[in-house]
Amino acid sequence: MSNSFFQKDIVSVRDFDKQKFETVFQATDKIIGMNQNERREIVRGKTLGYLFFEPSTRTRLSFEAAMASIGGTSLGIADASSSSAKKGESLADTVKIMSLYSDVLVLRHQLDGSSRFAAEISEKPLINAGSGTEEHPTQAILDLYTIRKEKKKIDGLKVGIVGDLKYGRTVYSLLYALSNYNVDVKLISPPSLKIRADSTYEIRKKLQYTETSDLEENLDDLDVIYVTRIQKERFADIEEYVKVRGSYKIGPELVNKIKDDAIIMHPLPRLDEISPEIDSTKQAKYFKQAQYGKDTRAALLALILNENGI
Amino acid sequence: MSSIQTIPMSESDLIVRRIKNGTVIDHIESGKGLKVLNALGIDGRDGNVITIALNVPSSKVAKKDIIKVENKFLQDTDTNKLALIAPKATVNIIQDYKLVEKRRVALPNQIERIFRCSNPDCITNSDEEIQPIMDVVDKTGLVLRCRYCTRTLDVNELKYY
Repeated sequence: MSNSFFQKDIVSVRDFDKQKFETVFQATDKIIGMNQNERREIVRGKTLGYLFFEPSTRTRLSFEAAMASIGGTSLGIADASSSSAKKGESLADTVKIMSLYSDVLVLRHQLDGSSRFAAEISEKPLINAGSGTEEHPTQAILDLYTIRKEKKKIDGLKVGIVGDLKYGRTVYSLLYALSNYNVDVKLISPPSLKIRADSTYEIRKKLQYTETSDLEENLDDLDVIYVTRIQKERFADIEEYVKVRGSYKIGPELVNKIKDDAIIMHPLPRLDEISPEIDSTKQAKYFKQAQYGKDTRAALLALILNENGI
Repeated sequence: MSSIQTIPMSESDLIVRRIKNGTVIDHIESGKGLKVLNALGIDGRDGNVITIALNVPSSKVAKKDIIKVENKFLQDTDTNKLALIAPKATVNIIQDYKLVEKRRVALPNQIERIFRCSNPDCITNSDEEIQPIMDVVDKTGLVLRCRYCTRTLDVNELKYY
């Protein structure tokens, strides 16, 4: 029987349930446990094609590194201004061409719904690596894996999500993912950056969450503190950005107020919302999180490209 | 010399003639008739007679619009697209001048090509060749969600495609 990920698109984390997450987590653990020679046989001869219409460091590099680690190769467009998109080629045509040259596609695009549309066009499975302010499903998968790995469980935890909750696509994917678990969520943001009501219809009944703008008062009982950057590039009015930039800064003083075994996560890149001074604290897990990003993406690619899984 | 014969006719007979075979969409809210035509993709290119009456006096409501499409029997999959535009419309199927089926419009599971997604950053509002599709996720609460950007939409603010 083929595994349920084989040749399937990963467009939204809303298509996942607990069992699917567990399948990816177990595949990730298995890949981490393999020796290099074993790992490099997993997708030998397969090619990943990436199309990045928005800047990226971690996501693109981690996909490339993940593919290489399991024996595949990557090709693609890291900057849309160097592609025919600059000449006015449609996304549909660009995706169609890339799907002829590769076995799996990875797309990042500035428009909401772009991945769902591209997946309809692509002849090969497509992975959403960020679609506007809508979703970033592989980030949510690695976020959950980080929590599971570092806290040894997900159910029963208190999770605080801090920063730009209105425009942060990682936030929505994380909330959709967490709605499969029994967790207590605190959403901490400036009032103008609260989560969008039009993107939370399904999770309102499934997920227990409260909203606040006060960070300090809400830190002490959290098990997971997930910090996000306030994204200048998403604001139509720069004045609105100026009003909220630097709203939250986690430095040594605040770290002293959190639980000893709490973990601090961030999808990165960061600006000033997490001070480099706390990078060496035991609670700081954001670089480990980025490492898990490569491992979970390798697992996902392995499952998509191998009928029998790994 | 023959005398002139007077045939009694009702007011609505004078406005829109009876049809032998086809579909009559009645009780369309006044002013929505042309939008209904657009939503159904009826443009007369198939050569069939289409009669449109706007602002017809009505006993139930002050005014209504009526559309008669001859030689075409619209299915409920077509006319249910009207549930958001003309929720009180009735669809009458006529065969040989007789009413053979009368039905109300009902919300379908998805609405294609009628409304624009209200999210300006949705791919359906870009230059790509893509038509908007809205999934009806709650028929009772009237909750629509864009198939692509997945945002729920305020039905009162929807703009026509």
